Formats: sequence, C-alpha cells, structure tokens
Amino acid sequence: MNKKLSQQIAFIIFKLFGILVVAILISILGFIIVNGISVINWKFLTAFPNEGMTTGGIFPAIVGTLYLIIGSLLFAFPLGVMSAIYTHEYAGKGWIVKTIRMMTNNLASIPSIVFGLFGMALFVNKLNFGDSIIAGSLTLGLLALPVIIRTTEEALKAVPNTYREASLALGATKLQTIKKVVIPAAMPNIITGLILSIGRVSGETAPILFTVAAYLLPQLPTGIFDQAMALPYHLYVLATSGTDLEASRPMAYGTALVLIMIVLTMNLLASFMRRKLEKNRSK
Amino acid sequence: MIEAKNINFYYGDFHALKNISIAIKPNTVTAFIGPSGCGKSTFLRLFNRMNDLIENTRLNGECLIEGKNIYDKSVDIDALRKRVGMVFQKPNPFPKSIFENVAYGLRVNDMGNKQFIQQRVEESLKGAALWDEVKDKLHKSAYELSGGQQQRLCIARALAVAPSVILMDEPASALDPISTSKIEELIHELKQQYTIVIVTHNMQQAARVSDNTGFFMHGELVEYSDTKKMFLNPDKESTQNYITGRFG
Ligand SMILES: Nc1ncnc2c1ncn2[C@@H]1O[C@H](COP(=O)(O)OP(=O)(O)O)[C@@H](O)[C@H]1O
Ligand SMILES: [Mg+2]
Repeated sequence: MNKKLSQQIAFIIFKLFGILVVAILISILGFIIVNGISVINWKFLTAFPNEGMTTGGIFPAIVGTLYLIIGSLLFAFPLGVMSAIYTHEYAGKGWIVKTIRMMTNNLASIPSIVFGLFGMALFVNKLNFGDSIIAGSLTLGLLALPVIIRTTEEALKAVPNTYREASLALGATKLQTIKKVVIPAAMPNIITGLILSIGRVSGETAPILFTVAAYLLPQLPTGIFDQAMALPYHLYVLATSGTDLEASRPMAYGTALVLIMIVLTMNLLASFMRRKLEKNRSK
Repeated sequence: MIEAKNINFYYGDFHALKNISIAIKPNTVTAFIGPSGCGKSTFLRLFNRMNDLIENTRLNGECLIEGKNIYDKSVDIDALRKRVGMVFQKPNPFPKSIFENVAYGLRVNDMGNKQFIQQRVEESLKGAALWDEVKDKLHKSAYELSGGQQQRLCIARALAVAPSVILMDEPASALDPISTSKIEELIHELKQQYTIVIVTHNMQQAARVSDNTGFFMHGELVEYSDTKKMFLNPDKESTQNYITGRFG
C-alpha cells in the first residue's frame, strides 16, 4: 500500500473515533433531555415531591444541593487557596512541599465513596454532627480540596515572577506582595478552579450518602445540623427505590437534566472565563 | 557611598563572584559591562538583596551602603529595598493602572495620605519623563503603553518611594533605539539626585551614560576605572580585547 493511502486511511479511522466520542456524548445528553424535558416546568423546580415522588417537584433537592455547594466551598476554598499559597509562595522546594503535593495528588485519586465513609466516621459519628449539612459539606469539601489546591497552584505558577520581584524591590513585604500583586493577578484562574469544583461537588453522590442525604423531607432544612435532600441522591432514590418506579421515572430524568444543567453551566462558565483571561493576557 | 569588600558569591557550588571589591561615589553613574554570564546581574542584585530570593546561595564579604553593612542581621530588608530601587531588564509593570503602578510603593510603605500619593505619583512620572504622555490616561492599564513607556513607568515606580540608589539591569536591552536614547537621557537627569548603577551589554551605552565603568569576566572584576580611561586606555589587555570586540 502506498504511503499516502495508508496515511489517509489512518486519518479516516482517527476521525471516525473522534466522531464516535462526540456522538456518545451527544446521545447521553440527548437521551436525558428527551426524557427529562417533559417534566421540567416551574412547578417541578419549586414544589416538594408528592404522591410517593411520582408527582410534584424537586425543590428541596435543589435547595439542598445549593446548600452543600456553598457549605463545602466555604470550607474548601479558603483552606485550598491558603494551602496552595503556602506550598507555592512560601515553602520553597523542601520535603514539606513534596509531602503536601504527594498527599494532594493522593487525595484526588481516592474514590469518592471512601470520602463518604471517612466523613461518616469523623463528622457524623466522632464529632457527633449526625447526618447533617455540616457533615456533608465538610465531606464534599475534602473532595473539592485537591481540585482547588491544584488549580490555585497552577494559577500562582502562571503569575510571572517579574511581578513578585518588582514588588519586593519596592520594599513590599512578601505578604504584601502576595496580597496586592500575586493573588489579584491569579484570581481569574483561581475562580476557574472554584467553578470547576462546584461542578464536581454538585454531582457527587457517594460522599453525601452517609453524611447528609435524606430520602425525603417534609420541609426545608432550617440549620446546618439538619439533614438535607440533594439532587444526585434524589436521582438515585427516584431511579431505584420509589413506591412506583415506573411512575417516578420521568421525575428521575427531569432531576438528571437539572443536575446536568448545573454542572454544564459551571463548566461552560469556567472555560469562558479562561478564554477571556487568555485574551486579556495576549493584549 | 556604596562599597563592596571582598565579595564572594556562590550559587550552590558554583563560584559566581570572585573576591570583588568596589567603591561607588554618590550621584554618579556606574556601568557594569562584560560578556553574558560573567556575573554582572548577580553583583548588581547584591545591593538590594534580591539574591536572597534565590535558594541555596552563599555570600562572603561585606556590602556597605552609607557605611552600614546591608547584610548585617539587624538590617530591615524591606526598608533597604525602599532605599535601593531597581529597574529590571524587561519592563515589568504590574497588571494595574498607570497610576496604581507608581502609587504601589507608596501604599505598601505607608507613605502619606491620598493627596500626598497623588502629588508623588505626578512628580515621579515627571521625573521619569513620562508625565506628558500619560497624564490623560492615568487610570488606563499600564499594558496599554509601549515598551519604552512601560520601562519609564517602571523607573517612575522606583522613583516614587524616594530611593537614594537606583540599580538598573540592562534597562534598555528590550527597547527600540528611540526609547533607548530616552532612557539614556533620563539617566543623565537622574544622576543629579540618585546614585545609579547600570548593567549593560552595550558598550556605547556604557560610554555614553556612565562616569565609571567596571569590566567583569568569569565572575571577576577585571578592571574598574573612570569610563573615559576605560574606553580609551584600559590597563588590562582583556578589557581592551572586549571593548574592541575581539571576543565576548
Ligand atoms: N539562579 C541561579 N542559579 C544558578 N546559577 C545562576 C543563577 N543565576 C545566574 N547564575 C549563573 O551565574 C553566572 C552569572 O550570571 P549573571 O549574574 O546573570 O550574569 P550576567 O548578568 O553577567 O549575564 C552565570 O554563569 C549564570 O549561569
Ligand atoms: Mg544579566
């Protein structure tokens, strides 16, 4: 076979696989949309589940997921950003940093169900928070932590060293330099990481399973020590353990659609911000 | 008065500065020349302790500014850097407005109120011969300026905190000829008020702007003398060779 022809065939094969991947993605999305769109309406978004979860809405699950996003990031964002600032700006290249980095990478690769188990053991039982928003938020926060640390480190790395030198050379302290020059310059990228971790946090089921998620609640949580419903777990419940699975199936697809929309919106927002930032930098 | 005595400096095992001694008079311009990698920047960065930022380095010897060893334990490094300003090779304004760039040093050093800062920013921009070009766009991003303007902005930024010494590391090497000559004129002006030490790989530039010149090679200060003498009648053959372009 001649070289040109084999090259052409190779390209066609690569292209087909590429198209296949896109097709798979689109069919998942399409499947969810087609099945879920019919139940989505104002009532679905704002009402409580009704009649054994076969009618009504998913309002408490949306609220619960929002609480968990806010709660987990309130904990993970400052902690992650500060730890990244420490490792990148202060700690030099010694064994402490190497250890922290290794731990962060390991943390990122732990299966999320293990986080759930750990969260239950520590927050629910040991610290006696019970099944609660705080226990779930802390557990999800642990999950988000490596994402935030890593993206923040990348963001700090992208800040040219010349900024730091210029600031120090003017008599600024290291802390002033970090606060007034490094962090503002890194902020857009740090925010990108934050948004990505929102996507991660809102979609996880395993970490909330044993720490916060309620099967069904008659009212919204009133404090951080209350249980809450959440979209991913609600989806699981709708799909596997309702009173009438056949009847609650459309509700499940609707829930999946809402969840996907939240995650996709976050990812789009993140890539939009990154592109905008790159444009700014090339100016 | 700046004085370095028997300076030896090491990056790890690498002996980058070898037993250098030098004395620099106030309100003069001193140029450091020499082939790339000979230690000019390293030596310059000793005077505002920028080398402290690099890990695994070692310094022997004394470095005196106005009679005080700046490597003494009691020295406040931030205060030292306020007295000894620096302009870098590539213009490096902060991603902030023109005004905020110049005000930055004043703010971090808690120098004066809003009105004072306003006034000081204007003075500094005038001092760096940039005021007329930017007075109508002080709150625009510094990155809207040309490279040469950015470098003068960096000079204004250094002037704002009222240093007595200004270190410049090849400040014009990234600039076009017109911007370069503006910077050189500026150096002439600034000499009235500041002691200036400038690293340059451009020998004509050294000859044009400086009163004294030091020639470095392989981490040694080969020769240090009056600029005219250095360029017309150097003592050492290697200086002669370098200046006439026979190597380096
Ligand atoms: N951060 C560093 N770590 C290790 N070696 C360095 C570092 N900076 C400079 N050097 C070495 O020290 C020598 C002098 O460098 P430098 O002072 O930058 O030279 P110049 O400014 O004259 O070109 C060079 O050989 C260079 O490789
Ligand atoms: Mg250099």
